[in-house]
Amino acid sequence: MLKPSLAIVQKDLRMEFRSKESILAMWIFSLLIFVIFNFTFEVSRLVMLEIAPGLLWVAFIFSGMFGLNHSFAVERENGNLRSMALMPVTGGSIYLGKFLSVTIIMLLFETLIFPIFVIFYDLQLTATLFLLIPVILAGTIGFTSLGTILSAVSVHTRNQQILLSLLLWPLVSPIIIWSVNLTSMVLAGEILTNFLPLLIRIIAFDVIFFTISFMLFDYILED
Amino acid sequence: MKTLIDKIILVILLLAFLTSIFLIFAWVPPIKASNPAEQIAQRIFYYHVPSAWIGFLAFFVVFIGSIAYLWKRERKYELLSVASAEIGVLFITLVLLTGPVWAKPVWGIWWTWDARLTSSLVLWLIYVAYLMLRRYLPDGNKRANLSAVVGIIGFIDVPIVYYSIRWWETQHPKAVMASSEGGLAAPMFFVFMFSLAAFTLLYVYFMRVRYKLLVMEDSINKQIKEMEIL
Repeated sequence: MLKPSLAIVQKDLRMEFRSKESILAMWIFSLLIFVIFNFTFEVSRLVMLEIAPGLLWVAFIFSGMFGLNHSFAVERENGNLRSMALMPVTGGSIYLGKFLSVTIIMLLFETLIFPIFVIFYDLQLTATLFLLIPVILAGTIGFTSLGTILSAVSVHTRNQQILLSLLLWPLVSPIIIWSVNLTSMVLAGEILTNFLPLLIRIIAFDVIFFTISFMLFDYILED
Repeated sequence: MKTLIDKIILVILLLAFLTSIFLIFAWVPPIKASNPAEQIAQRIFYYHVPSAWIGFLAFFVVFIGSIAYLWKRERKYELLSVASAEIGVLFITLVLLTGPVWAKPVWGIWWTWDARLTSSLVLWLIYVAYLMLRRYLPDGNKRANLSAVVGIIGFIDVPIVYYSIRWWETQHPKAVMASSEGGLAAPMFFVFMFSLAAFTLLYVYFMRVRYKLLVMEDSINKQIKEMEIL
């Protein structure tokens, strides 16, 4: 079961590293979000620190849409979607492959934009900052696990890009809310007792979303 | 093409809603509140809360219909889900409209980013997206499959959305029906149940009419296709 998934991951990553289409677009777009945000809300440093966690996740999810849209848009060309449906593997393994490649690309982009975020918002580099790693990991997986299946849904429509946002954002809002909460705790350096329960909650819902999508993906591929 | 049953339901609905307006504005004693505006505004509760309940019921029907469709592959389940989603959005829209009407005199503002309000808005957005998806897809099995998948994921997400926002401070009045301490006074409870029954019947009526319309649309489309082939 894992083999076809890994084949998809390999293909997607090879395509990405040859063209660098998604990562570059996501990175530049996030940079733009930071710049535009600075123009539109001229706030003091103190307020900036308070809204920085939200801003980070806005940058992540807005830019993440590029990756998600791109993920299935490339498959639509040359009728790849149909060939995928004809592959003698379950929908679940195709989902897993697509999910993994999108997640890897997104995590790479996040790693590349984070230093810029640190510089722009003058964050203190403390040891607690490492706690952001599980938070970003869990939040991103939640975003991509739902995003992958909804991207496969919206790719069949004329208005793919706008529809993906319409479908995904309300559904993924719980994960984003919790991720922003945890991020603010880490950035403020106040790790409260509910840090771990909240993190576990995100992971639990990641698992739920992943499992449902994994099970339902067969229905999306069939004609 | 209204059947006799539809006509009977329509008459009952008309009587029930007229009665409910009488009950709400003339019969049930006003609540104890220092602010007279609040006493009047509170009466919207009898329409606001049943609308919310029926909205949830409608989305639950979407969920069940979607599962049934993926399982049995029968067109009727798809149509049932769509009809219910449209009506559910209508009722949640009513909730989002009646809420501010109450909030303005009582809280002094139309809207606040409160837990209940925000999660209801997110709920509304989820099902509007479901309807948008259907609009962007051509009719066929593909559309039925994709919307069923979204109908299932959407409903599973509903409790998660409510849960995620729950820890926010909420100004919204507590769920009086579910609370252990007393709950509603007897006449209020009666009027509430009366409204709820009327709203449930309204949902049933809407479902019947909308479902029949969808079936009719289907048969017309089929005839058009046959004519095109000829």
